[in-house]
Amino acid sequence: MSFRLPNKLVTTIVGSYPYFPEALKAFQLRKRRVRGSEYEELVKTAIRKTVEDYLSAGVDIVSDGEQRREDMAVFFAEELKGFEISEPVRIFDNVYYRKPVIVDDIEWTHEIVVEDWRYASSISRGRPVKVTLTGPYTMYSWSFDKHYGNMRNAILDLARALAREVEALVNAGAKYVQVDEPALSTRVEKEDVKLAGEALEIMVGKLSNVKRIMHVCYGKIERLFPEVLDYPIDQLDLETKNSEYRLLKLLREYSFDKELALGVVDVHSSRIETIEEIVDGIRKGLEIIPPDRLYVKPDCGLKRLKRETALAKLRNMVKAAEKAREELA
Amino acid sequence: MEINAGICGNFPRPPELRKALDELSSGKIDEKELNRVFKLSMRKIVELQEENGLNPVTSGLLLWHDPLRPFAESFSGVQLGGLLRFFDNNFYYRRPIITGPIKREKPITVEEVGELSQIAKTQVKAVLPGPYTFLKLSENKFYQSEDQLIDDLIEALAAEIEDLNGLADIIQVDEPSLVDPELSLEERRKGVEVVKELIGKLRVPSDRLIVATYFNLDPDSYSILLDLKTGLHLDLCSSRDKAEEALREYGFKGSILSLGIVDSRSIFPETPAEMAGKTRKILEKTSAEKVMISTSSWLDYLPFNEAVEKLRILGRTLREVASS
Ligand SMILES: [Zn+2]
Repeated sequence: MSFRLPNKLVTTIVGSYPYFPEALKAFQLRKRRVRGSEYEELVKTAIRKTVEDYLSAGVDIVSDGEQRREDMAVFFAEELKGFEISEPVRIFDNVYYRKPVIVDDIEWTHEIVVEDWRYASSISRGRPVKVTLTGPYTMYSWSFDKHYGNMRNAILDLARALAREVEALVNAGAKYVQVDEPALSTRVEKEDVKLAGEALEIMVGKLSNVKRIMHVCYGKIERLFPEVLDYPIDQLDLETKNSEYRLLKLLREYSFDKELALGVVDVHSSRIETIEEIVDGIRKGLEIIPPDRLYVKPDCGLKRLKRETALAKLRNMVKAAEKAREELA
Repeated sequence: MEINAGICGNFPRPPELRKALDELSSGKIDEKELNRVFKLSMRKIVELQEENGLNPVTSGLLLWHDPLRPFAESFSGVQLGGLLRFFDNNFYYRRPIITGPIKREKPITVEEVGELSQIAKTQVKAVLPGPYTFLKLSENKFYQSEDQLIDDLIEALAAEIEDLNGLADIIQVDEPSLVDPELSLEERRKGVEVVKELIGKLRVPSDRLIVATYFNLDPDSYSILLDLKTGLHLDLCSSRDKAEEALREYGFKGSILSLGIVDSRSIFPETPAEMAGKTRKILEKTSAEKVMISTSSWLDYLPFNEAVEKLRILGRTLREVASS
């Protein structure tokens, strides 16, 4: 059971993994508000299969694959107090989704993902399990607000509620806490960037002995600079492969001194990157960030890929990290 | 001054139409059955608008998969590409890919607007994408010269508008790119020139023509929009302070002004009194012959039930403004 993280180029994932059939079945039960032992068993099986895939690929820091979460915003909205779910809203063509609606003060009332973290940790053969939480800025951006009418108040309340979940996770032993803020890469203004930082301060600002990570992806990540440098996080987790590593130049300009989780495989493409191609990406990262602060991982969650594709990408990623480590030795 | 109320663009599909479209693609029903459900849905949407005292009404554009789609599908020289985010919304459109000379081979929305004018008891508004937004949201893989592309696009759209002219009381050309903060002011200025070129080709009088902008309004964009010298639709919700500043600074002189005061991307409760207050404040600074109280943009960003609520707010705001 003893496992040691490599001292350089640690491999990890962003969070989600392709849904196993058990997860899809669990979503159906959840829709019918059935959440008994059958539901829990299905979720557990899906988490176990996810962790097994990570282990077989050789990923160092793993996750529960977010197998319980059909949608990253709706899931937390269903678990926090103060939300309802809307009637369908169009996303494209004739495809619709339901959006969280804030109808009351947002509050945390019970543990949300602690059990999944605990279970994944129990089967990860000593490998750390990173927990991912949808961030307050993204939760608000992807919801309708019928209650606050004030973005700042709502986001800070969301942060307070999610801070309770973080507290429960840390008490359970979680050492890697990641806040996902994909909405921060859309059309944010400077005040949004500051507000998201304040929210992070509430959620993870006071933690010690815990790796605090923020993930952002796709879009105008440049706009988060320089404020993001002062965010209370230890690690910034970025999508970089899909955008051809253009963000690295920016990190160099700002003498970025946090840890960087570098996206080296594209989750929007089913093509399996070659080991050499991934090593090449890692080398680009190493030009800016020393190897002990550079983490290697896919651009974003893997859930939209076929499982075989996701697994093949992870295998090559792990081999590439090994190769890059040898080069450094 | 004549005051009316009406929605800016489309209306969300009612559940039965969503279902019918799914059933069509899975082969459970045929085109004929879809058309039957579509016609009933359109009638329902028109009645909903009329019941709330709106005038003009739109058809709801219920079969449009996105604001460019009927045109991207119908023009020759254009193919459909992948999904892209529509401005800053969590809504995606298929990018038109230009692979040959753009040509309008046949009428596109004329039948739908004709049908609308038959069932509506009020005036009707036809809506179509403008050339600059179409250009900006497309990928050009064919034209060497952008000017040639623009000319062809203008010609294709002008032909459609010409056919709509006799059927619709108001014709609205949607140009959100003219106020897109992601574009430089230089690009937005160029956009205004493109739209002016289109207007120059039309025989629609200026009191029946609206150029609609949404998702942003700032003083710089607004000052160049006024150059169009035509009716305008303005989004007064997406960048509120800046929009009010723009109107304060430049006012409005023209024939028709559509005020996007009811927020089409939020469901935070709005009261008619508050909406009417805002309208009055803006009217102090404008002198339009016709004013329309409207939603800030299309209603695609809301669920059906909330969009119905917006119709009620529009109607009640109109009555509130009219009674004072
Ligand atoms: Zn991501």
